[in-house]
Amino acid sequence: MKISNSQMFRVNMKWALALVLSVLFMGASQSYAQEGESLFKAKCATCHQVFKDMTGPKLYEVRKKWEDGGAKEGSVIQWVQNWQKAVAMDPYAKQVSTWSPTAMSVFADLTDEQVVAIFDYVDAQEEKVAVVAGPVDGTNGATQEEESLSFVWLILGAIFIVIILSVGGVRRQLKLVAGEAEDTGLTYAQEFKAWAWKYRLYVGLGSAVIVISLIVGLFLTMYSVNVMSDYQPSQPIDFPHSKHAGLNGIDCKYCHNSVEDSKTAGLPTVNVCMNCHKQVQGQGEQVAKIQKIYDAAGFSPEGGGQYSGKTEPIVWNKVHNLPDHVYFNHSQHVKVGGVDCKQCHGDMTKQVETARVVPVEELSEIEGNIKLTKPTLTMGWCIECHGAKEISGGPLAEGVEGDSYYDEIHRRLLNNDKSLYEGYLEDGKVTVKELGGWECAKCHY
Amino acid sequence: MKRTFKAISTYSIAAITGMVVLASCVTDPDSPGLEYMPDMYRSPAVEPYVDYGRVQGAEDMEKKMVQSAMTPPAGAIPYYGTEAAHVEVMLPYHRLAPATGDVTHGLYGWEKEDSLGSEYNAAVADKNPLTLASKEEADAMFKAGKHLYETKCMHCHGEKGDGNGPMVTSGAYAGVPDYKTKTDLADGQVFYSIYYGKGAMGAHASLLNNEQIWTLVHYVNKFRFDDYMKNLPAAGEAPVAAPAAVDSTVVVEDVHAEEAHH
Repeated sequence: MKISNSQMFRVNMKWALALVLSVLFMGASQSYAQEGESLFKAKCATCHQVFKDMTGPKLYEVRKKWEDGGAKEGSVIQWVQNWQKAVAMDPYAKQVSTWSPTAMSVFADLTDEQVVAIFDYVDAQEEKVAVVAGPVDGTNGATQEEESLSFVWLILGAIFIVIILSVGGVRRQLKLVAGEAEDTGLTYAQEFKAWAWKYRLYVGLGSAVIVISLIVGLFLTMYSVNVMSDYQPSQPIDFPHSKHAGLNGIDCKYCHNSVEDSKTAGLPTVNVCMNCHKQVQGQGEQVAKIQKIYDAAGFSPEGGGQYSGKTEPIVWNKVHNLPDHVYFNHSQHVKVGGVDCKQCHGDMTKQVETARVVPVEELSEIEGNIKLTKPTLTMGWCIECHGAKEISGGPLAEGVEGDSYYDEIHRRLLNNDKSLYEGYLEDGKVTVKELGGWECAKCHY
Repeated sequence: MKRTFKAISTYSIAAITGMVVLASCVTDPDSPGLEYMPDMYRSPAVEPYVDYGRVQGAEDMEKKMVQSAMTPPAGAIPYYGTEAAHVEVMLPYHRLAPATGDVTHGLYGWEKEDSLGSEYNAAVADKNPLTLASKEEADAMFKAGKHLYETKCMHCHGEKGDGNGPMVTSGAYAGVPDYKTKTDLADGQVFYSIYYGKGAMGAHASLLNNEQIWTLVHYVNKFRFDDYMKNLPAAGEAPVAAPAAVDSTVVVEDVHAEEAHH
């Protein structure tokens, strides 16, 4: 079949027109969807999510839900613009208004088309597959492996000793049976005595070694008394600091709220947990853990989240414990002294498991920390740091007068006794020790 | 032969007992290790967060469930010194909690408003008591505000106040608004929202005192309004009308301070 040029042209024209029209249409729907997205983010996202109930219910296919529920036509749009008007004219809307005690805001400035655009944008979303758990840090696994390794050595050693002794016993029995050794009628103890006298030089040396190592062992054990290094008690909830302070960048001081004002850093009350966990309900194994918070707060996530008022305490186990005769004040160290949390508590952004007393070796590896040697939470450790820590700022050091607490100290030192002050500054810094940080009564009273 | 078995079993039992004793020292994570005089660590003198249910290895469940961090008696007001202006700021917040605040934000035991939203709407009239008269004052205020913001707000609201904090970018949390879209709120309403919480945000009354919240209101306003407190005079050039206004408030505050003393 042959097509003439004019026919060809006409056919092409048709296609071109269709193409142009469809491009125009696509462009329009694109900007339409974009408007829906920006409106959703600006107006709705504070309270509504697409696939999850939050302060307000989820919005995915909400129009279908209203239709199925028997709502009047267009009342869902009316609801968005002014929910009270919708309640007045539609019984279904009235029923919806009881979903949560929180009242929705009024958006009288949204046109019908804009509301439809928002719904179109929401319905076009696709639910993401839940991602389970983040990367797991290996640091704690390593220490556990080491422990179990030493345990294996203990077992092997014990088995070895048992074998040696029993083989010795068997040999002796065999000798007796074979009549090689005459049964002298002596007890084991008497035999041992005779044997020990025979080889008294070796027995003497050997027992000296044993006694000395026992004494050394005794002293080493005594040095470990009251050393809580690596203490990691189990907690009612396996709280991962790495998720909260690390991945989600929450400042230590958000939860340990009183650290700048009080002796204790403060353990967050459950309402602080709920500030985020009202929305963050977790996935997989997290759900059961977060449920413990909900139980404590008397909260159920249904219907936008509702509190029942029936609360119960969470009994946490104290990790860092100082004896009663030691006075330690967090606000003095953190606010006035400007000591970073990680100097004493280590890098909590990497602490996958529950909190523990971080051994001093690990603390000293952290960048910016003063390097110390004595075990964590012992007096030697405190004293060592007081001897090394410089009190911040100072007129001689920087040539500018600040108004912090320690700037004032520097100023007074300079004005009272300049030679003493210069003596302090011989090593280039005024340490806590030089201001009385080694006085007994600084911490014991 | 009997003797052989006896010897073997004796040695084995001794070895196993020894191992168990050693192992128990090494592996129990709930044991803080050897303690000399444990009652020095869990003494009868009340220290916060100390477990009094466990003394010398013995558990006392009744004592264990006793809270060591106590809620102050109802109506207790912390002592905030004698500076009238400061005391005035720190007096208990006069606005009542939202009518539905107990169910939505767990505000049980708080005095509540009669009709939902009435206090929030009335908060439009509340003025920030921390007035800024000079550029230096504003700088100091914003410096304090920045520190508070970074510790208490930034993880959700973002460093720039755009609602893209690390909590949001990590995917854990959604729906944090950009402060730029919240220009229609009055200072008093911002305070009310921080204090009692709003929508998904929880009440922050337990985390921040009044002065800190008002400081944050100043700081957040910097995100909301581009030229907020930008055109203040330097110290010493303050307008003449300001001192008179301060005097009148001091008189009112003195009355309150006296009431607090009684």
